[in-house]
Amino acid sequence: MTILDNLPAGLREAAEQAARACVGDVAGVNAVVIASVDGFDVASSLRVQQDAARIAAMASSISAISGVVSLEAGLGNFRSVTIATDDGFAVVHAAPRADVELVIIVIASGNAILAQVMHRVAAMARALAAH
Amino acid sequence: MGAGKTTAIRAISDVAPIVTDVANHDASVAKARTTVGLDYGMLALDNGDRIRLFGTPGQARFDFLWQILAREALGLVILTDNSRPDPLADLAMFLDGFAASLDTLPCVIGVGRLDSHAHPTLDDYADLLEARGMVLPILAVDVRQRADVVLLIDTLLGQIESGLERN
Repeated sequence: MTILDNLPAGLREAAEQAARACVGDVAGVNAVVIASVDGFDVASSLRVQQDAARIAAMASSISAISGVVSLEAGLGNFRSVTIATDDGFAVVHAAPRADVELVIIVIASGNAILAQVMHRVAAMARALAAH
Repeated sequence: MGAGKTTAIRAISDVAPIVTDVANHDASVAKARTTVGLDYGMLALDNGDRIRLFGTPGQARFDFLWQILAREALGLVILTDNSRPDPLADLAMFLDGFAASLDTLPCVIGVGRLDSHAHPTLDDYADLLEARGMVLPILAVDVRQRADVVLLIDTLLGQIESGLERN
């Protein structure tokens, strides 16, 4: 059992709705997973066959390592990191809350527009942080 | 999880360790924070060589990191916590997770909290290894004690050196 079983009222539903909307609205987005900072998946929407739990754990690791880089470099708190690949990209974005820190990962194909995805994931993070 | 990997690195590192611990949301483990990325430390040996120490998250959902960190490793230290519900199952999980690496890398096993939780015994650990056709050093350790952690490293280095001599 995790405390994620006792998330604030409506948070998981809001996260699921946000993940679904992102996959549905933004061209090229194949997967959105919203995870706790320690790697448990809270919500996800996947257009392709992928393991949300595994993606959540990876997002958590990427976020934590990126956070260390930010702090060691004197750049403050981690916000987001983009992984560019031959066939697309992934964006990992922090969505800190006082009760449970969240991490959002968006996986997109090469058809997606990076700026559009980054704008959308930042908006999702703000909305989830304020929920 | 909770076996003290971060503590062990902190106990012997000559540099301020790099840690990637975050708030723990797993209520089955009574700890506030847990490693989700990697820990890093460095230990200088008397001969001037420097050993880099990397700690991995212990939970199986992070097994993708196990493979990455083991790729260029000189050896493995597996830490278990004898106060956990089934420490032998924990060890079996790590032996499975690192199976490919264990074919070629030396390994030593450190068992923590044996003084307060006597079972399973070190013999039980050895029996588990024997059933898998493996013989590895198994040491009782307190990862808060620098001497205990250094002994783990020394044991690992001894295996590496004996392997080099054989080759």
